[in-house]
Parts: sequence; C-alpha cells; structure tokens
Amino acid sequence: MDQSDMIDTGVASPGQAVPGQAVPDQAPPHQATGRFSRDAVKRLFPVLLLLVLMAAFSVLSPRFLRFANLMIVAEQAVVLLVAALGMTFVIIAGSIDLSVGAIVALAALATAWTAPTLGIAAIVPACLVGLACGIVNGVVVAKGKVPSFIVTLGAMVVYRGIVLFFTRGAPISIDDEGFLDVFSGRVFGVPTSALIALLLVVVTVVILDRTVFGREVRAVGGGERIAFLTGIGVDRTKIALFALLGLLCGMAGLLQGARAMAATAQLGEGLELDVIAAVVVGGTPLTGGIGGIGGTILGALIITVLSNGMNSIGLDPYFQNIVKGLVLVGSVFVTIDRKKIGIIK
Amino acid sequence: MQMVAQNVSRSFGSTRALDDVSVALEPGFVHALVGENGAGKSTLLKILAGAERADQGQVLLDGQPFAPRSLREATERGVGLVFQEITINPALSVAENVFLGQMRRFRRAGLLSNRRLERAAQEVLDSFSAGISVSQPLTSLDLGQWKCIEIARALASRPRVLLLDESTAFLNHREVDSVLSAMAALKRQDMVVAFVSHHLAEVERVADRLTILKDGRKVGDFDAGTISRDEIQARMVGRGVSVTASTGGSARLHGEPVFSADAIASAPRLAPMSLALRRGEVVGLAGLKGAGGERVMELIAGVVGPDNGSMTLAGRPYRARRPAAAWRQGVAYLPGDRTAEGLILDASVLDNLLMARPPRRGPFFDRGRAARSATELIARLRIKTSSKDARSGLLSGGNLQKVVLGKCLAIRPSLLLLHNPTRGVDVGARMEIYRILRDEAAAGLAIVVLSEDLHELTTLSDRILVMRRGEVAFQIDDPPAATEDDIIRHMT
Repeated sequence: MDQSDMIDTGVASPGQAVPGQAVPDQAPPHQATGRFSRDAVKRLFPVLLLLVLMAAFSVLSPRFLRFANLMIVAEQAVVLLVAALGMTFVIIAGSIDLSVGAIVALAALATAWTAPTLGIAAIVPACLVGLACGIVNGVVVAKGKVPSFIVTLGAMVVYRGIVLFFTRGAPISIDDEGFLDVFSGRVFGVPTSALIALLLVVVTVVILDRTVFGREVRAVGGGERIAFLTGIGVDRTKIALFALLGLLCGMAGLLQGARAMAATAQLGEGLELDVIAAVVVGGTPLTGGIGGIGGTILGALIITVLSNGMNSIGLDPYFQNIVKGLVLVGSVFVTIDRKKIGIIK
Repeated sequence: MQMVAQNVSRSFGSTRALDDVSVALEPGFVHALVGENGAGKSTLLKILAGAERADQGQVLLDGQPFAPRSLREATERGVGLVFQEITINPALSVAENVFLGQMRRFRRAGLLSNRRLERAAQEVLDSFSAGISVSQPLTSLDLGQWKCIEIARALASRPRVLLLDESTAFLNHREVDSVLSAMAALKRQDMVVAFVSHHLAEVERVADRLTILKDGRKVGDFDAGTISRDEIQARMVGRGVSVTASTGGSARLHGEPVFSADAIASAPRLAPMSLALRRGEVVGLAGLKGAGGERVMELIAGVVGPDNGSMTLAGRPYRARRPAAAWRQGVAYLPGDRTAEGLILDASVLDNLLMARPPRRGPFFDRGRAARSATELIARLRIKTSSKDARSGLLSGGNLQKVVLGKCLAIRPSLLLLHNPTRGVDVGARMEIYRILRDEAAAGLAIVVLSEDLHELTTLSDRILVMRRGEVAFQIDDPPAATEDDIIRHMT
C-alpha cells in the first residue's frame, strides 16, 4: 500500500523525483561524494547547455525544433565539426592551429578548380592540399621548434594570401551537378555532408581512443619532456597530428565549397576561432593531455545551435557576437578544473 | 617564545592524517619531525604554521591561541614557513626574491628604491651567515643557496618561529650543508626552529630534539643523541628495518658482458670515458652536480648524442641519437625529476606504466593485454593504487616512483639507468624499491645508478665510480665497506 502511494505521488509531481535522480544516474560513480554534484555539473555542463539552448529556442521560436530546421543546423555544423575533430587532436597534444580557416579556403579553391573536370574525384586534390598545409605546419612546429601559435599565425596569413593571389578576390563557382549531389545533396531529407561528418566522427574517435597514436597524442600533451624521455617520437607525433588536422580541413573546405557552390577569398574567415571555441566549450582544456571527441561534437553543436537559434528568434545580428563570446567564456568558467591547472595564463 | 600543539587532529576525507598529537617547541632548539610519507609530519607542520586548520585541539603561541586565517596573519604573529618546493623566481634578482610580496616597503614616491631593497636583503642574508651576495645572479647559485634565499624571505618579516617543510628534499649533500648551517645559526639567535626531513643523517646533524610520527600518531619525543639512527628508523616503520648490503658480487663478476662504452665523450662535461657492465651488475655513479655523472646517463639514454666513442649492447653496436632509439634497443631510463620528467600526473597508472612500449595489435592499442600487463606490474611492484585506471596524481611519492620504475621494467630492459631512484621517497617505499632492484639484478638486469644519496650507492652497487670534473676520479670495488667520507673525499 505504502509503495503504491509513493509511486502515485511520484507521478503526480515529476518535478521532485525524476530530475533529481536523473543527473547522478548518468554520471559514472565517483569516490568523493561531497564534491559529487559539482563534479557532475562540470562533466555534464556541455550536454546541459545544449539542452537548455534547444529548449529555450524551441519555446521562443516554434519552427526551431522542426525536422527541416534541425537538418539545417546539422548542415551548418558540418564544416565547423569536421575541422574541430582535427583541432581536438592538436589541442590535446598541447598545440594550437590558427590556420584552419585559411586551409579550408585553400581546399575549397582546389575543389572549385578541379570539380568541373574531376567531378566527385575533386575530393583528392582538396584533401591533398589540406594534408600538404598540415604537414608544412607540423614540420615547422616539430623540427623548427617554433611555437605552434606563431607558426600557424604566419601560415594563416600565407595560405589566405595564396587564395587571394589566385582568385584576385573574385569567387569561383562550383556547379558540377554530380559533385553537388554527392557533397551537398540530401538522402531522405538528411544532408549528405552530415553523414560524411558522422563517418569522420567514428574514424577520429577510433584513432584517438583506440590506437597507439591516440595515446601518444595524449602523452605529448600531458608532458612533452616526459614523452620524449620515455621514447615516444614526439616530432613524428606532432607532424602526424597537424597533418591529420590539415586533411580534415581539406575535407571541410570541400564541404564548405559544395554548400556555398563557390570558392571565395573570404571563405572560412574567422572559422579558426569558432573551431577552437567548439573544442574548448566541449571540455578539452588548452593545457593539453585530456579531453575528447565527444565534447567537441557537443561544442560544435552548441555554437551552431546558438547561431541558428539566435537567427530563428530574430535576434539583432549585430548583438549576436556579444552573446557568443559570453557563452564561450561562461562555459569555460564553469567547466575548468582549477585544481589541476596551477597557473592560468 | 614557545609554540605548543595540544591534542591536534586532522582528517582529509576518511583518512585521519593526524590523531591527537601534542608537541612543544622551545626557543634555542632545533626540533625535527620525522616519519614515513603519510605519517602526518607535513600536516603537523602546516597546522603549526597556520597553513592548515586542526579539526580538534589547538596551537598555542606563548600561551595564546594561534589560529591565523591567512599566511600573512601568521607572519604578523611571528611565524614563518619555508615550503618543500622551490619557490624562487629565477627571473627576479636575489633581493627581489627575498622581499617578494613585501616590495612596497621600499617605495619612494611610488618608485622602487633598488638600493634600499638590496641593502635590506643583504642584511637579512648576513644575519644567518648565508654567504650569498645580493649582486650574484640567481643562475650562479645552487639549489641550497636558493633555499637559503627562501629562508631569508621568511626571516624578512622577523619571525620568532621558523618552520621548514622538507626543505632539503631536492638538494644534494653539499647544498644541504648551507641549509643545515642556516638552521644552526638561527637556533643560536634563540629562535624556535622546526623542520621535517626524510634524511636521518640531517636530523642527526642539526636536531636537538625529535618527534617521531607514524600513521598520524605520535610515537614519542626524543633528545637527539639518546636514540640511534636504526632505532629511529625502526620506530618510524614500526618494525625492524635491515638495510642489507648487496649480495652475490663475486657471482656477477663472472656474468657475461651486456653493455660497454668505449671512450664516449661530451665536451666540456665529460672527458672520454669507458664503462663495461656484466649481466646482473649494479654500477653506482657518485659525484657532485656537473661532475659528469648526469652526462654519462644522458649519453647512454640517447638524450644527447656523444661527440665520439662507441657503445655496444648485448654484443651488437649500440647507438641512440634520441631516447626513442634507446628504449627500442632495450635501454630504460628513470630520470631524476619524477614529476617533470618521469610520469604524467594527469594520466592513469596504466597509461604511465605502459607508455614506453604500449601493447599493440597493428595500429591499435591492445586493451586486454594492457590491462593484464598493468595489473601484473602493480602487483609485482606493490603499487598502492585504488585501480589501474586511477589518475596517477592521486598516488603518494613512493608509489609514483614505483610507477616510473614499473614503466622502465615493463619493456624488460637489458640495461636500466637510474637517476636518484628514491629521491623524496620514504623509508618503507625505499626499501621496497631496493628489493625490486635487487631481484631484477639477480635475474640478470644490468643497472647503472647515479645518486646523490651516498648511502643508497653503497647499499645497491657492486662497484662505485666516483666522478670529478668530467672524469672517473676513483673506483670503489667494495661499496659496503666504504664510508660516506671516503666517497666525498674523492668527489671534491
């Protein structure tokens, strides 16, 4: 009798029982029960933030949660996500890459040039261009011992300069039907680019979590000197991870070009900051060693949902950047583990 | 001024770090707090300094309750603390380091008066005969002198009580001398001086009284000189500790050769030097910092390339231009700085243990084999951890060092290079590390050990090479019979 009473009240007021339990159940068990709730909030914050944003936007704009709009969100997230997958490796290894936007533009240019003759096979030059840019970055960082921030800051300007030099500022359109069907078409309403991104997510998760290379990336970011003295090929690992990011940026450039149906000199401008923001909002700290792809997916979705949602509810476009910046700093403020990071620069 | 702790207790989570401990510190005496890692000595010292609060009990300063809310308030009440870690900022001058945080005292019209700052800093340094001039660049001073600058920093606010937390942990024996004589000088000024140390030799040299702690409880207070080093050790551990000398030396002399170096050199640190090791042989390297021992290790480990000379390993030519090549050929290196060079605190115990040669299936990490290897290593080295997947940073110093050693042994090396293998490790864990090393040597592993702890060298080694100015100055063939004085004589 008592039990049925309890179940009855539970159903009658779901606000009391259900959410209170739902959060701890999802979290893995933790030893220190005193800090439990705060740790859980930190770990689950990206998920909570995404859910809160989606709930808020769906209340404010009825069309936000419609399938068609969600597919647009997916399409908008793809370029950011694909580049952020590679950036996750670079940041976990303790480096940074500011040239991703420029690599995306350069790869889009390669796509626009070759799509009329190569069609779908334009994927090859796009990826090769990205890979080459990434290898150059990696070699200068690893062998030249120049900080990645400086190397890629310079590379950003150079790669963007190459795009400007060849396009003379004029857009080059992409109109090959077969190419556009494959890379910016839809299958049962789902963007093909989102499916490609999903495949790349699986591949990068396997690389980061299941391969020896993935563990070496973490070791380099956790302590480069330690990794070096333990016999890990630090230079080789660094070149490989910049190359991987370059390759993914090549793919992102192709998808961006396909979506815009053109390569322009301005393509991907400022993308590097959104990409870094996506990784960091997803809970991967710039200090290296820890983090993962799962957080990056959430981070990319948060940033895209925020942009899409602000447009859906008709927020002043000149006000939107202020919100984006505040969300970035605010979420790191909540999730950062200040105990492990002694000095914050 | 007298400082008394009355029945203090302190818990961290479910761990009782201090349990009903009372001590009395008198001016004009040097008081040592000794015990194993986790015995509670650092916690007690921090409670005395006001850096930690006691859950129960209280600290009295001249009969008045002493419970400062900040280190600044503690300083104002006349209690100074010197930390275990090096807190010198090498980008600043000696004087700036002494008055770090108090430099506003030397402002004149908003600008810093460097002359007054330097004069005041020199006065503080001279007050305990530190032998340091404020005009010296920090890089020309050794770690012991850096520690003396930290002592000067504590003295700058004219305390009556000075507490030192394992301040000699990262120093070599010559550097330790500066710190020990500073303590003796302060004692003569009628200050209350108390320190925590792992090294009983230091305790014997300067302490007038000592308090032994074990598992958070006080074992007892003793006057120095009334208790032997062996007895202190036995009471710290709670059982008899026998530091047995290395065994089977003669058997090893006939083992087959494993490694040889022929005239390897690295100017200007190391003159051409030759070295040969047999299976199961342990060779100790002694010497002051910069005497060449570190360079020998780095050459063999592939951290730096030799100028010339050649090496062989297991009968084949051995070359290592970087550490990766050394590990691949079966040479494992345990570096001297555990947290900066040895292991990643953020990574799990398993990740650290298997970092050098992760089990792989093609490009993939073999999780099953990794779990088995890690479990086996944790059991074999008796690493105390809640799980193989626990974050390494949660482990104590001794266990961390066992993880670094485990990382080396995981590749089944044919030559093991050890640099200060038990620095900052308590007696119990040290004995276990010695046991592991002896077992490995008995199974045929050749070991080169470079240590600033001379007792460690005489305990572990089959022979000791004493380095001086980049050369082998002397070889000791019967380490157990050698005294520390013998070795030091050849070092300097």
